[in-house]
Amino acid sequence: MAANLKDYTNSLGLIPALGSVTLITMPSVLLLKIIFVTVISILLPVASSLLTHNFIISAILGLLLAIVSSFLVFFFLKPLQDLIKAAQSLESKSKDEIENLERQRDGAIAEKSKLDEILSTLVDGVVALDFNKNIVLLNKAAEEITGYTQAEMVNRPIEELVHIFYDQEEITPKTYCQSSLNQIAKLIGKDGKESKINLSTAQLDGGVQTNVFCILIMHDIAKEEELEKMKLDFVSMASHELRTPLTSIIGYLSVFLNENKGKIDQSELDLLEKSLTASQQLLILVQNLLSVNKIEREQMSVSTQPIDYLPVVTKAIEDLKDLAVQKNIILNFNPPSNLPKIMADPIRIPEVITNLIANSINYTNPGGKVEVSLQVSPNEVTTVILDNGVGIPKEAIPYLFNKFFRVSNQTQQASKGTGLGLYISKSIVEKLGGKIWVESEVGAGSKFYFTLPLAERKSEGAINNKTFTGHEIQAGALNY
Amino acid sequence: MNPQSKKILLVEDEDFIRELYVRQLTKEGFLVKSVPDRQTGLNLLKTETFDLLLLDIMLPGMNGLQLLREFKTQNPNSPMVTILLTNLGQEAVIKEGFELGAQAYLIKASYTPDQVVSEVKNALSGGQSTPPPNPAPTQ
Repeated sequence: MAANLKDYTNSLGLIPALGSVTLITMPSVLLLKIIFVTVISILLPVASSLLTHNFIISAILGLLLAIVSSFLVFFFLKPLQDLIKAAQSLESKSKDEIENLERQRDGAIAEKSKLDEILSTLVDGVVALDFNKNIVLLNKAAEEITGYTQAEMVNRPIEELVHIFYDQEEITPKTYCQSSLNQIAKLIGKDGKESKINLSTAQLDGGVQTNVFCILIMHDIAKEEELEKMKLDFVSMASHELRTPLTSIIGYLSVFLNENKGKIDQSELDLLEKSLTASQQLLILVQNLLSVNKIEREQMSVSTQPIDYLPVVTKAIEDLKDLAVQKNIILNFNPPSNLPKIMADPIRIPEVITNLIANSINYTNPGGKVEVSLQVSPNEVTTVILDNGVGIPKEAIPYLFNKFFRVSNQTQQASKGTGLGLYISKSIVEKLGGKIWVESEVGAGSKFYFTLPLAERKSEGAINNKTFTGHEIQAGALNY
Repeated sequence: MNPQSKKILLVEDEDFIRELYVRQLTKEGFLVKSVPDRQTGLNLLKTETFDLLLLDIMLPGMNGLQLLREFKTQNPNSPMVTILLTNLGQEAVIKEGFELGAQAYLIKASYTPDQVVSEVKNALSGGQSTPPPNPAPTQ
């Protein structure tokens, strides 16, 4: 706009002062025009009076000249008037534009403070990166997580300030900005400040215009972990405290029942028998909760040693004979003739086998059969528990070993189980280096398998004898 | 084995459990003394000899194994049989107990008092020196 005004005024032979009509310098062309008119209007009457010596003619000539020069002056100064007008209109126009610009600027500031306000209320840290992985924007939560201030971070490359690790491996911005991520990671910020975060990243499609390439959203999970720990501590404490009086209740009831069989009426004895059964179920629940608690705290310790497996299985069968007899179920065990020692935890492994056999008994109808057998292979012993019970629906099998999962099948007795036994068994077997799985068909029965490594693996001997190459052994390992 | 000639010391802080075990063991003819804490137990062990010690490994404010450790230091050649009374999930302490010379352990919650009595009989007759645990099924 200023350029146009200048052109316009130049065309008139004037140089304006913007926003004012004051002429700072009088341009030479206009000056000459005014001087010319002035000179003519003075010189012509003088000349005419000198030539005519007649006052009346001189006066008429002077009057004519005055009229002509007035016209001339008016004509010459017309552009100047136009300029004044134009300048006045320009002044009002520029005022509008400046006001408009001011409004736009205020609007932009309001937008930015709105965005800042929203970002600052977010509990998650937000960091925006440009194409060079420099930080262009971050919010207050990101400052807290990283330990840096806004001033320390903006326009700086993120990898100079913030380091992100998955497990032990550092992940560069190139990797985490390449694809959308959502993962728990460790963040190391200012002065080695460590935070455990859930990091989500997203790439921006319209980033070219805004020069924002990648957004990092950091969710601090320290508080959640603290709450989780408090929950686990509470479950652990409550379970321990529940177990002590329950042990007494079960002990006293079982003694009373043993001593009074035949002495009091069976219908009255039934009342106490049911109390005992319920107490035992409660105890199982409490013990399972404690076991799950240990697994979740990663405190479930197993220590393996070579053990004779046969007495463990025999003892479990012995212990569960009563339950099988009560339910009119045949419980069979076919011990193998030669069973090598296995590597297992002598305290934990009976829990697994007892649990699986009890499960089979519970989910088999009276008159059914539960069979336990052991299969020895060069590296491991597979324990198989077979029943001809109600079976497990196909769709339930993938979730069977999940915590608190229970088969919702009307053919199965709904009151049985806590949904924790198989989860605990799986955790134990896997900790011992084995595997656990099931084959089942509704109405036909179930076959549970779990493996435990042999104390002396035959294939290890093979390695020592250099019979196989490493490659062959790897392939073999994949087969089981 | 004649139970009447066998003396048992029970160290257990839970009153109800202690009374019940004493009742059942006495009923079987054992001579039973019971104490609720480590110090009383140690004092008793200094003045009397026992054939079998039933020791709760979780006593208030301390690990019951300290009693066993102190006793074994003072009487390294004692023939007294030790059975640990435990709860499920105390594997580390159980292993430590075995290293200190305990012969067996019983998971209190999983054993009825009568089963405890029969394990005591087994241990005293030199039968099953380390009975495998008998955890309740975890269905």
